[in-house]
Amino acid sequence: MSNPALPPSSDPHTPISNQPEETGTVTVAEPVFQAPSEGTGAPAGAADGTEQVEGHVRTESALEDMWTAPATSNLLDIGAASFGPPPPVAESIIGPDDRVQITNTSVYPWRAHASLLITAADGSLWIGTGWFIGPHTLATAGHVVYIKNSGVPGRDGWVRSINVMPGRNGGVLPFGTVTSTNFRTVAGWANSGDENYDYGAIIIPSDLGNTVGWFGFGVWPDAELQTVTANISGYPGDKPAGTQWYDNDPIASVNPRKVFYETDTMGGESGSAAYRIIDGGRYGVAIHAYGGVTTNSGTRINQPVYDNLVAWKA
Amino acid sequence: MVLAGVVLGPAGEPVPLARVFVASGPVPVPDIAALTDAEGRFAMSLPAAGTYEVAYAAEGYASASTTVEVAGERELQLELRLTRDRPAP
Repeated sequence: MSNPALPPSSDPHTPISNQPEETGTVTVAEPVFQAPSEGTGAPAGAADGTEQVEGHVRTESALEDMWTAPATSNLLDIGAASFGPPPPVAESIIGPDDRVQITNTSVYPWRAHASLLITAADGSLWIGTGWFIGPHTLATAGHVVYIKNSGVPGRDGWVRSINVMPGRNGGVLPFGTVTSTNFRTVAGWANSGDENYDYGAIIIPSDLGNTVGWFGFGVWPDAELQTVTANISGYPGDKPAGTQWYDNDPIASVNPRKVFYETDTMGGESGSAAYRIIDGGRYGVAIHAYGGVTTNSGTRINQPVYDNLVAWKA
Repeated sequence: MVLAGVVLGPAGEPVPLARVFVASGPVPVPDIAALTDAEGRFAMSLPAAGTYEVAYAAEGYASASTTVEVAGERELQLELRLTRDRPAP
């Protein structure tokens, strides 16, 4: 696929502020959302905001440690007072690794997640994750469909193709492979490489989503998001090839463009849904993209992201 | 900066389709993984100077990781070695 120049990223009338946006909040008069579909077959069950997966035990949040006697082993050396703290370390496993393998990937909701084999413009291969949001559209990270600042000649720009494998379980592909060369992202990612705009979509040349189902997604206010669990299931590179792994943890914090959580992930899970469960329905609240310093994070589905996802699933 | 290298098996043979990714780093990193080519080669960008844990895995081999210190280099070369998985007892 060619890499045509993208239009400038913003209207000159876009408001600016001297206040960091991260200090703002998103107020939503009425939550807006797109409904999920479970595709064909028997309905899936769910309770209390998390998936019921045998063997999954969530490690208590570090936030809850404040009510127990503090450990001193992690206190900074006194030298930090003069020379500053050592640089933090970003890692995708926050505390103990709580992920569990999903083996019944041919049933909803697991089959709505897809293992992605990405061929970049230079022919290099990568793995990631996407999730169905409609009959022929998967949401994913922007850096899955458009590579930015790679430093490698011939690599940056739209990827050449992506093989989409819904519900993959190792070597088993219950719904086969669909190859796409039709992608979407936004100027904030493609022009600027800004992680706040790191989201995109894959359009596939069939309506496989009618079979495997899809997740809803929506926009909710800060106060509500901070009370829900971030469920993530994806295809991490540290596990046997093409196997799907799930974890959940409460959302730790939000800002207008990002959602932060301790849900464990690893390289290969970029593009996964960070989703909540309401009355048995799965709804994406963010698109997972980064392993972080103290939390992992995804691009928040705010109103502009929502509007684009709605347009891309049409 | 670019981290480039090759993944080799215990006899020095190239390992194609090995998964290489950043398991931890000094700043948030994209949660994507590279696959090695037919010669076991890969190249990936690292967003900032600092200490990274680079992990790598392939079918039939034990997963491994190594620590990489990145200063101001434009490109770092790594040779990553995998050992064979032990059969289950």
